[in-house]
Amino acid sequence: MTELLVFHALAGLITLCSIMVVASRNPVTSAVFLVVDLFCVAGLYAQMDAHFVAAIQVLVYAGAIVVLFMFVIMLLNLEPETMQGFRVSAPEVGILLVTIVGFIGVAVTMVLGGPSGANGGMTPEVIEQAGGNTFAVGMVLFTRYLWPFELASILILLAIVASVVIAKKDKPAAKDGAVAGKRSLTNGAR
Amino acid sequence: MVPVDMYLVLATVMFTCGIVGIMARRNLIMVLMSIELMLNAVNIVFVAASRAVNNLDGQIMVFFIITVAACEAAVGLAMVIALYRKYGRIDTNFLRMLRG
Amino acid sequence: MMGLPELNPTVVLNGVINYLSSPAGIELIATFLKFLFVFVLVLQVPPIMVWAERRAPAFMQRRKGPNRVGIDIGPLKSRLYGLFQSLADTVKLIWKQEVMPDGANKVMYHLAPVFAVFAAIMIACAIPFGNDITAFGTKIPLSVIRLDVGFLFIFAISSLGVYTVTLAGWSSNNKYSLLGALRASAQMISYEIPLGLSLLPIVLIYGTLDLNEIVIEQTYFWQWGFIKAPVSFLIFLICMFAETNRAPFDLAEGESELVAGFHTEYNSAKFAAIFLGEYVSMFVLSCLASTIFFGGWQVGFISHEQLVNLLFGSEALAAFVGFNALLLKAAFFMWFYVWVRWTLPRFRYDQLMSLGWKFMLPLGLANILVTALVVAFLKF
Repeated sequence: MTELLVFHALAGLITLCSIMVVASRNPVTSAVFLVVDLFCVAGLYAQMDAHFVAAIQVLVYAGAIVVLFMFVIMLLNLEPETMQGFRVSAPEVGILLVTIVGFIGVAVTMVLGGPSGANGGMTPEVIEQAGGNTFAVGMVLFTRYLWPFELASILILLAIVASVVIAKKDKPAAKDGAVAGKRSLTNGAR
Repeated sequence: MVPVDMYLVLATVMFTCGIVGIMARRNLIMVLMSIELMLNAVNIVFVAASRAVNNLDGQIMVFFIITVAACEAAVGLAMVIALYRKYGRIDTNFLRMLRG
Repeated sequence: MMGLPELNPTVVLNGVINYLSSPAGIELIATFLKFLFVFVLVLQVPPIMVWAERRAPAFMQRRKGPNRVGIDIGPLKSRLYGLFQSLADTVKLIWKQEVMPDGANKVMYHLAPVFAVFAAIMIACAIPFGNDITAFGTKIPLSVIRLDVGFLFIFAISSLGVYTVTLAGWSSNNKYSLLGALRASAQMISYEIPLGLSLLPIVLIYGTLDLNEIVIEQTYFWQWGFIKAPVSFLIFLICMFAETNRAPFDLAEGESELVAGFHTEYNSAKFAAIFLGEYVSMFVLSCLASTIFFGGWQVGFISHEQLVNLLFGSEALAAFVGFNALLLKAAFFMWFYVWVRWTLPRFRYDQLMSLGWKFMLPLGLANILVTALVVAFLKF
């Protein structure tokens, strides 16, 4: 009973925040709603007993990614945009069709009932015995999914290098008498 | 226990908000934020399914999706900065040079 | 969905009482009371810190701090070493007129202080103030919430503390605020990484993410964390200062450079809220440092069972003693904060960033490597 209550409260908040993210004109307002949204999704994960993923969600998504968004928005000093209607062109219509098919798929799943009887063996009792959700996730992550884990770290390294290289300012061409890359007191302003 | 289809409905609503965001917003950063919304919708489905089937693979998948989303957001925002520096605006109606 | 139960008042009352007497209900009441307690406790810290922050440097600089404000009501006449100054400050902060800058974004301007207080109090909820006590038939843990991912939760919530600074600076429509805010948020997110990295060896050594388990393993003071993981302690100490924007990392406020940095345009109650958030996060990080590195609620020279036996078998009394031990250790760290602030000069921004990225980060990584090797070697 409390589970349902918590779920409905969180779900209502998530829906509201998702709509506000998309509907706000000011990018910073959207970012703040996104933070609240992601925090509520983390709460949803915690309600589903996925404590590790909930913590990671707040840590990475709400605490780092959206901060990154905010930094970029503030550095670029974006104006609130004037909303216009939908663009209608082939790719977007395609996406709309896919979404409608998705809705139909979800409706069919609901009518037929959820996944039936399939049991992967990690019942809550087993997880409790293994020492909690984090322990269980760790055990699976470092045995069956070791390869993807290491590859993910290489991916993150690639992303760091890529974003630094892409966002770097190009060095201006050297002026006469000034050695390129060396800071002078007047910094080229003669 | 909350039935799985409720999580599915919630995720679909969130995913739709993301799609509407991509289609209706002109600001490139808003498009990126809508992509994050969609990724989160998918994450919810994964965790709900993992709970319904009593298998932890769903949560592992979410772990990797979050990682990839972080990398993609970083690189995407770096590109936004580079584009802004070059063209002065990040309006998706304007940035259509690759369009056929 | 279940149908609505009959709304007979007696039935509803019986249902509520039944629920509240069950273990789940007792847990609920206990959590609520614990939260109230922690909330009130945490709110006592800023007035004392404000006082300490002005008297301590005064004595360090061979002068006396504020000691004029006193009460003079009939037979009661006291100045109490300037403690009433805090009261006067609080009253002023509440009653002063709030001025909001003209072009400020109203929603963000009002929202920014909320994140400060929210993040700080949420972290305070995860810190164990004593061992689990058994009362009313259930085991009650003495932290407001008992998580098996205690550490991760604390990192996660402390990473939300960046939003205060960012939103406050941006929404003030003020160049100095924005500059201070961007510098401060860059500093905070840069030093989050060594903070997390320094706590990984602790997880490796103690084998658990749960804060209470870590305290239980630190029974005698030769088992305390700062002996087992000294480099971690050093890194954590330095990052503690950087995370709370305290000297020598306080260029966010930059009192001589940026007017008042990100909170230039904040006055009266909102400034009090941001201030409160800063001091509460200082207190909470001090409690965390004492929990992880200094034994938490353990009194260093006797174990918890011996303490319970000493106190006539009363777990509640032992919990009280442990709570005081934790407060003493946290008070030491708070004093350390004030001491360092008034001793060291401020870092320049590029010095600060290069310290964080080029020194702390590699040191943290090397620390993890060495700790992992030592732990693996000792396990075999």
